[in-house]
Amino acid sequence: MSSHQGRVRVRAASSALMGWGFVSPALLLLLAMNLFPLIFNVYLSFTNADLSGGAVKMVGTHNYTVLFSEARYANALTLTALFVLVSVSVELVLGFVLAMAMRDHIPGKPIILTLLLIPMMLCPVVLSLFWNLILNGNYGVLNQLLAFLHLPQPQWLTDDDLKLVSILLVDVWMWTPFMMLISLAGLNAIPKYIYEAAEIDRAGRWMVFRTITLPMCAPLLGLAVLLRATDALKQFDLVMAITGPNDASTQTLSARIYQVVFRDYKVGLGSAYGVVILVAVIAVATIFVRYIDNLSRRQGKVERSVP
Amino acid sequence: MAKKFVGLCILAGIASSITVTACQEKSRPSEPAAAAVTSSPTPKKTLTIWWAQWAPADGLQELATEFARKESAEVKVHQIPWANFQDQVFQEFGKSQTAFDIVVGDSQWLGRGATKGLYVDLTEWLPTAVDIKTLHPVALKYLAEYPTGSPHYYGAPAETDAMGWAYRKDWFEDPAEKEAFKKKFKTELAVPQTWDELETIAEFFTRPDKKRYGNVLVTGRGYDDIVMGFEQVLYAFGGSWGDAKTLKVKGALDSPDAVRALDFFKGLLKYAPPGGSKLGYGEALEPFANNSTAMLMNYFAFFPDLAKKMAGKVGFFAMPRHGDRRFSSLGGQGFSISTKVAAPRQELAKKFIAWFLQLDTQKQWVRRPGGFTANAEILKSDEFKKASPYNTAFAESMDIAQDFWNVPTYNELIAATAQQLGEALDGKKSSKDALTQMAAEHEKILQQTAL
Amino acid sequence: MKLLRAVVVTCFFLMAILPLVWLALTSVKTYEDTISAHAKFIPWTGAGSLGQSDAESARFAPTLDAYRNLSKRVAGTPNNFYYYLENSIIIGVLSTLAAVCLGTICAYGFSRFRIPGSKDWLFFILSTRFLPPLAVVVPVLVMYRWFSLENTHLGLILLYTSFNLSLAVWLMKGFVDEIPRAFEEAALVDGYSRLRTFVRIIVPEASTGMAVTGVFCLISSWNEFGFAMTLNNYEAKTVPVYFAGLQGNIEGVPWPQIAAGMMLFVAPIVLFTVLVRRHLLRGVTFGTIKQ
Repeated sequence: MSSHQGRVRVRAASSALMGWGFVSPALLLLLAMNLFPLIFNVYLSFTNADLSGGAVKMVGTHNYTVLFSEARYANALTLTALFVLVSVSVELVLGFVLAMAMRDHIPGKPIILTLLLIPMMLCPVVLSLFWNLILNGNYGVLNQLLAFLHLPQPQWLTDDDLKLVSILLVDVWMWTPFMMLISLAGLNAIPKYIYEAAEIDRAGRWMVFRTITLPMCAPLLGLAVLLRATDALKQFDLVMAITGPNDASTQTLSARIYQVVFRDYKVGLGSAYGVVILVAVIAVATIFVRYIDNLSRRQGKVERSVP
Repeated sequence: MAKKFVGLCILAGIASSITVTACQEKSRPSEPAAAAVTSSPTPKKTLTIWWAQWAPADGLQELATEFARKESAEVKVHQIPWANFQDQVFQEFGKSQTAFDIVVGDSQWLGRGATKGLYVDLTEWLPTAVDIKTLHPVALKYLAEYPTGSPHYYGAPAETDAMGWAYRKDWFEDPAEKEAFKKKFKTELAVPQTWDELETIAEFFTRPDKKRYGNVLVTGRGYDDIVMGFEQVLYAFGGSWGDAKTLKVKGALDSPDAVRALDFFKGLLKYAPPGGSKLGYGEALEPFANNSTAMLMNYFAFFPDLAKKMAGKVGFFAMPRHGDRRFSSLGGQGFSISTKVAAPRQELAKKFIAWFLQLDTQKQWVRRPGGFTANAEILKSDEFKKASPYNTAFAESMDIAQDFWNVPTYNELIAATAQQLGEALDGKKSSKDALTQMAAEHEKILQQTAL
Repeated sequence: MKLLRAVVVTCFFLMAILPLVWLALTSVKTYEDTISAHAKFIPWTGAGSLGQSDAESARFAPTLDAYRNLSKRVAGTPNNFYYYLENSIIIGVLSTLAAVCLGTICAYGFSRFRIPGSKDWLFFILSTRFLPPLAVVVPVLVMYRWFSLENTHLGLILLYTSFNLSLAVWLMKGFVDEIPRAFEEAALVDGYSRLRTFVRIIVPEASTGMAVTGVFCLISSWNEFGFAMTLNNYEAKTVPVYFAGLQGNIEGVPWPQIAAGMMLFVAPIVLFTVLVRRHLLRGVTFGTIKQ
């Protein structure tokens, strides 16, 4: 008996080691490519490093003082927040409406569904370069279409107030299918018998929607919102392709870093920006993971992957 | 034990991926990058030149084959898109050894290159390589000297460029148009000599319902597009960027003359196609190429292709004047040698530049598409002026060229200028406010340089 | 109600598809037709118009020139389109293979073994995905300079592998979790070692999952732009960076060629999307939602 127990214990120990054996290569790579850069970033943010090399001097918190007092920093922060808020909300509403329309049987549903999902899989940069052609003020087809319909033709790419709208337009076009996909999953997960019960109780359409549909979809929609929000925080590709990194009306945090590091050559300040973004990202990531945890614990309808 | 086995297999997996990649690297023809290793099987010398991604770089590569033959060396002109050219060059300078021996850099980079010890000092050498008097003084001033106006050279003129105008000759010569113009304005429709004439012609050709517009200007905010576009108007009206010696900007950039210049520039935008307030150098070509605009302002480097595509329909003229002041924004790049390569390579680079600046080579250079010379003799010659429809206008433009600051912090100056000018053009502020704020920002940035 | 539904679906469908249709149309136009102030959208090779001049009519003569020109260099670029496409393929495929292999192995470890702090580790893995590339680009650049990885395919492959690992681990964990332990227990009882079990039993069972994960990793690498542009790559340049670099080209942006190149670039993605359509939900949500 005791030898069996002993063997079990040894097996457990070697089993744990083996587990580490499986897990470590990936973890090591991730640590090397992510943790080290983060630490180095923090170090660089206290220096006056220049992109073209040269002597590196420690400057204490100078970079941070400059950063927080810069007009461009406040601008970038506001724009990034605005971008995330508006894009995610619009995509959520449009995606949900589309899912509601698509949930029941319609002819050719599989094909239509797949085609609708294509925009979100495409390369953002490449597509938005092409959107420049569509939105062009002089010969763009969108404005020509609007002229044909006798509607006003805004200058999408040049009007300061509209440049952010143009970027939002492309982003919404790309990611509404994402929201639709998740909304559909949420809607399809609602068991039919609940609707039947509501019908027996003669609940009105709006009441059903408000008290059954929405609340039951809410967890998944929340997940979708978090996923999209974290992606939207990184927004760089669309800004680069449509307005370039220097434009103050669309300069998100990532674009600002690009300008600071690659145009002004100030690596120290750029690293300070990086650290600031990092803090924001960690905060969002924590919320995210806690949300997934709650989600999986609450209903058990969504299978979880976190042990 | 199993753990060891697992670990070994994983290592093998990673190793094989890396090996496959490495094989890929070897089988693909790689560009000759300057590596620390000097013992190569072939005794061939290599010269790597970095330039922007455009036709003149193609021309240089073709031309360089002759030098390559003479010196039994290999010359590789490596091209980088304009949008990234600047950052990649200065990023490369951050290494202990750059992949390029020569960089054909923008005139504005001279300050940074000189003060940070990135460009080789050519003051002693340049006069021995070429007779300084044969180089056009303006080209020498802006493409070679730092500080500007001093006899210190950090570059040698490679490609000269200036801004000029392309116009629809066929529209100007159309009898119906000529008559309508005469009736309305009481003068002949001809190539404008003054900025006011240009404005009149632009107004005449602006017919939005027929999708016709008078002029398209360079107003992009991405780099220095709008700055260069505005510069010539600024100077023609009497303004300036400031005093290079005292670094004083207030009084020059926000003077009443400058405000008038900006107002005039804004006025010209009325006759530009929709979207005309944010067109980069390349984008400005499109409204002209699609037959909707009468006149196009841009660098001469873009004109060879235009002349080819719209042969017979297009003509060219140099910047008009305001009163007796006439200026054209300078373009062009100069050869600068990297301090971060071995001495023998620097010697080879010097040989190349010397060969390039010879009269014979220059004569061949101008025959290449987009090849513009700094050689004063050629510029003055009739042969050159007749060689293409734009050469006469170009030769004139070199005499009146004006450049922007080339101090090490030029990028910040450009960004501040572009932003203020942009806001003025978009109607967010008055010209006076924009220029006053710009002057204040410029002084602040320039003072950083002086530190 | 049904009519409303049909209208909504049609509207969205058109909005989703029309830009892509325009892309396809542009790829068969000439340069002049592309930038014409009068939009041309009717491919018509015959003559005759509705009283409009050729310049103003909405018809255009389609041509395959743009596709043929893809094998030529655009003015002022060192290589033709196919060179960059090759780069994208090499980097995409190799980084995907590495990510899927490492990811599967790691996912198996987390799924079947009790690793202390596994929840935190998985959180760490997930959070690497949230990092804006620009926030870490500077230290990565410096690191790469030390190892001379800056201008190589290997550098970008390594980066993309670590970039995709989070996706791979989370997706594969979901797939591996679904494989009943009974399979392995049986094999272990029969005396198979862990490793052999993994190779002989888990991998075949998870092969669909690996394929799906591979597709998503490939799409992610294929579309990546932030790192590809900033890591000073001229030899290992990928297609998105190539297209971005064509802006402001001295001979005018070659729109028909860009459109043709984009069609070729986008085609594999469309194909893969169709192939994994059943797993799309899982793929885009990191495996947290399974239908």
